[in-house]
Amino acid sequence: MRVQLLMALRYLRTRKTRTALTTLAILFGVAILFGMNTILPSMMQVFRQGMLAAAGEVDLVFSSVTDGPFPADRVEVVRQVEGVAEAAGSLRQNVLMPASLVGTTDPLQGVNSVTVVSVEPEAARRIRMYPTQKGRFLEPGDGDVVVISQGLAEKLSLDVGDTLTLPSAEGTTSLEVVGVLQWASPPGTEEVYVPLTTAQRLLNMPGQVNGIEVILKPQTDRAKAEQAILAALGEGFQPKPLELGEEMFASLQIGEKVFGIFGVAALAIGAFIILNTFRTVVTERRHDLGMLRAVGASRRAVVGLILTESLLQGALGTILGLLAGYGLAALLVAVVNPVLRLFLRMEITSLVVTPQNVVAAVVLGLGATLVGGLWPALTAGRVTPLEALRPVVPGVYERATRRRAVAGAVLLVLAAIALLTGNFQMVSLGTLLFLAGLVLVAPAAVEPLARLFGRLLALIFAREGRLAEGNIARQPNRAAVTASAIMIGLAMVVALTGMVTSVSDGFMGYVERTLRADLLVMPTSMMLGGGNVGAGPEMARSVREIPGVAEVATLRLGAAAIDGQMFQVVGIDPQRHPRVSGLIFSQGDPDEAYAALGRERALIVNAIFAAQNRIQPGTTTMIQTPTGKHEYRIVAVASDYLNAKLATAYVSHANLERDFGQTADLLFMVDVDEGADFAAVRGRLEEIVRRYPAFILVEQRAFRQSQEEALRNNMTILYLVMALLVVPSLLATANTLVINVMERTREIGVLRAVGSTRRQVRRMILAESLLLSALGAAFGILAGLWLGYVMTQAMNTVGFIGIPYYFPYAGILGAIALGLLIGVAAAVLPARRAARLDIVAALRYE
Amino acid sequence: MTLIHTENLTRVYGSGETAVVALDHVNLTVEEGQFVAVMGPSGCGKSTLLHLIGGLDRPTEGRVVLNGYDLGRLSDDALTALRRRKIGFVFQFFNLIPVLTALENAALPLLLDGVKAEAARRRAAEWLDRMGLGDRLHHRPDQLSAGQQQRVAIARALVTEPALILADEPTGNLDSRAGDEIAALLRRIVSEWGRTVLLVTHDPRIAAYADRIIFLKDGRIVDETRLSGEGNDQEAQALRRWMEAF
Repeated sequence: MRVQLLMALRYLRTRKTRTALTTLAILFGVAILFGMNTILPSMMQVFRQGMLAAAGEVDLVFSSVTDGPFPADRVEVVRQVEGVAEAAGSLRQNVLMPASLVGTTDPLQGVNSVTVVSVEPEAARRIRMYPTQKGRFLEPGDGDVVVISQGLAEKLSLDVGDTLTLPSAEGTTSLEVVGVLQWASPPGTEEVYVPLTTAQRLLNMPGQVNGIEVILKPQTDRAKAEQAILAALGEGFQPKPLELGEEMFASLQIGEKVFGIFGVAALAIGAFIILNTFRTVVTERRHDLGMLRAVGASRRAVVGLILTESLLQGALGTILGLLAGYGLAALLVAVVNPVLRLFLRMEITSLVVTPQNVVAAVVLGLGATLVGGLWPALTAGRVTPLEALRPVVPGVYERATRRRAVAGAVLLVLAAIALLTGNFQMVSLGTLLFLAGLVLVAPAAVEPLARLFGRLLALIFAREGRLAEGNIARQPNRAAVTASAIMIGLAMVVALTGMVTSVSDGFMGYVERTLRADLLVMPTSMMLGGGNVGAGPEMARSVREIPGVAEVATLRLGAAAIDGQMFQVVGIDPQRHPRVSGLIFSQGDPDEAYAALGRERALIVNAIFAAQNRIQPGTTTMIQTPTGKHEYRIVAVASDYLNAKLATAYVSHANLERDFGQTADLLFMVDVDEGADFAAVRGRLEEIVRRYPAFILVEQRAFRQSQEEALRNNMTILYLVMALLVVPSLLATANTLVINVMERTREIGVLRAVGSTRRQVRRMILAESLLLSALGAAFGILAGLWLGYVMTQAMNTVGFIGIPYYFPYAGILGAIALGLLIGVAAAVLPARRAARLDIVAALRYE
Repeated sequence: MTLIHTENLTRVYGSGETAVVALDHVNLTVEEGQFVAVMGPSGCGKSTLLHLIGGLDRPTEGRVVLNGYDLGRLSDDALTALRRRKIGFVFQFFNLIPVLTALENAALPLLLDGVKAEAARRRAAEWLDRMGLGDRLHHRPDQLSAGQQQRVAIARALVTEPALILADEPTGNLDSRAGDEIAALLRRIVSEWGRTVLLVTHDPRIAAYADRIIFLKDGRIVDETRLSGEGNDQEAQALRRWMEAF
């Protein structure tokens, strides 16, 4: 082993450019993977820390399984449980602060949300310390008063005696500040403390709380107490999980997966680079390897030598990749923090490096090198001692193996059949077959393709083009591996640009069909739930009374669970809703479904819900609601724009009120009579909305525009990351060219000796590079078209109904442009190297 | 004592009409401590004979018994181990590992055999010293002359203290002065250090250092002669005449 290490190190040192390029490839993949996996959990950690800080020194916190409100009398039940020293009910909800109430539109300076924490003053003081800096804490008998944190007091320039106005179910509620607490609020939350009765009125939840905080007597077994309390509370309660902003978490998790795919793709390219490098290494060192076998190295020792060498590079690339990844994450933090501060009032202070992420990055980094190095190593093991004694045969033509090409063609046909079945699982399997098939067929396709592109190239490069074509065709396997590496990068580009168009269009189609009302009255943030204060029934009534309003439909929100799995419940009015807007149905008859919603305990579920719970329309299921378990019938699968990302079920307003205790309206969709004066209706509506600062009035067209813009912004980030994938493709091409130049040093010497100019040599290498990247682009476009189509189908299968497929013209043009760019950029270094070769030294080169 | 014994040793390359018989039922016995030179024109099968005896290639027919081991019965691993411990190879093109120093190249077989690095280096240094390269231990092959490179290769062949040295045209790539030096070294390997040397060459001047000459033609042994082993000109002339007869 020692010898192998010594030799591997020496070999790596003598071929510095090649070692650097190969190492860089691994570095890049690991960096993307590790960097992204570091920053995303760090963001989640920040959210969690915010939650922990909010939980204070309480021993246990309980909530309903659905996190919804429940009657306040449950607190008394908990107090009676043995071991409980004190229990206090609380109503806690995030409330978005409209700019009109905060007095500033600068979100960095101002406050865009507060957490209303209701307390029973007596019980609460026994549970927590509330040291005030000024004024007093809440006392029994308090009415519309509030205690705020020091930070909030400073930001809003409030003092004891001033008034804090919050958006509420009644429109707004003004509270007198009676005290300022000493501590600063945890990140992302500004807690304001109000008496329970006030909070219940403010949030339209009379007689209800949504959490019970418990302090245990000393020496009480925590786990036992928790069980006892849960037993006493009855079904439907849980120790409160520290979770917040589920939509945010869902997005982050999707982000984690997407970046994971990018990282793995980059590493796959890295593996291809390693493969190519070591295939050359083995050919180049046939003599050395044969000699080693002759003087007594076993096959295993030779395999070990090549593997050691590739693993050394893998290890080096992985270590540097971890560092670069951490740097990348740190850089991203610097970019993201201002945004986080702006919208969430929190920031990432430290990056979370979990052992799992390090291990995953190391395993994948070394894994890629092992996979890339294994085949060449095994080939090396088969080198016989006699090869040491044979004279060098220059310029061996590699032959593309026919068997492999046939196997690849078979795989391609199978993949096409899988695609035709239309079955999602088959199609996914088909994708793997397709990529594998393409890689296998590639070597055989190199020659005809090289000839085809060579003809094009001949127009510009004349003789050098012919030479380049020959040079590519003589190493079809190496050219194919390089092309495959480029293929991965460009396929992503083609597939994703197609996807982006499809998704944008699909989503805008959603907006058009499910939010088609003329006017929308919506919370200041479009996340349903997420801290929005709903309006009482009064508001909807007054909107309906406006002359010229044809119909008003509202959305309400609750939460429920099946087998502990949470989902959101959206309340709709089964009569009014279809008139103003609509759901997009994928299963079930719309008319019947709406009728069932009005008639019985029925659910229309979205596809995510159906997939998560494996539930089909027509079945019944027990769901956990804040008032206990109820049997609901699933009548259809459908979705709308707002609820496309989370598991969602739609119920009637009546059922939402009865089983979930929710009556607050969160979104109003208003249709105006055709003959009516639109401006007048709008004006009257504005007046009403002004009384409810938690809401804003938006015209449908404006809303669509804002959504389109937001989508475009999201996609820009995707494009940036995509650009990152081009780098490893570039490395792969440069690496192959460096190898080609090195291997043909003597030939280039001959060319120069018989009269080629430096310029001609440079142009030959450039032509070679362009040919390679053209091959890669051809494969990449093919694979990208396939991937894009399959991904669109996949989106439709997992719940985004009605995403159209678009042929990615832009992506193809982009891939061709990037291919050209790769071709030119990759050639710079090798071409210069080849042109500058010293003729005499080159002729002597071995 | 017999070191090498071959029975009906035959090697055919290719098959059918294109088959070439490189070695045709060769029976040869070499005693320990002999310096044997195999001579013959190009393509007579002399290299093939060497490869088969060294276990680098497998015969089509017949067998090789080396130091009591029937090579045909050994697994690849056992054969590799035998090569490592019992046989030293010297090639025409030296075949040193370009990235290792002279010392590391010479120590390679020991390192491959699992000998501790320090001991391996010490033994390699001793042999290099005997080859007159005591001051070149840390030079890489490209920093040495051709003759010096071949002497490193000989040190590498001797470092495991093998019974047999197989040399395939070891002077083919050297000028005549360096060639003489290498031939003299091979002579010392037999006379001073008691090893057996089997040398393949077509150069009568080099073969004249051997004490037994085997003449090979068309894969068969056609003649054999004994020499004084002093490498003198008369014997070399006789050999040259013999070669020219072909």
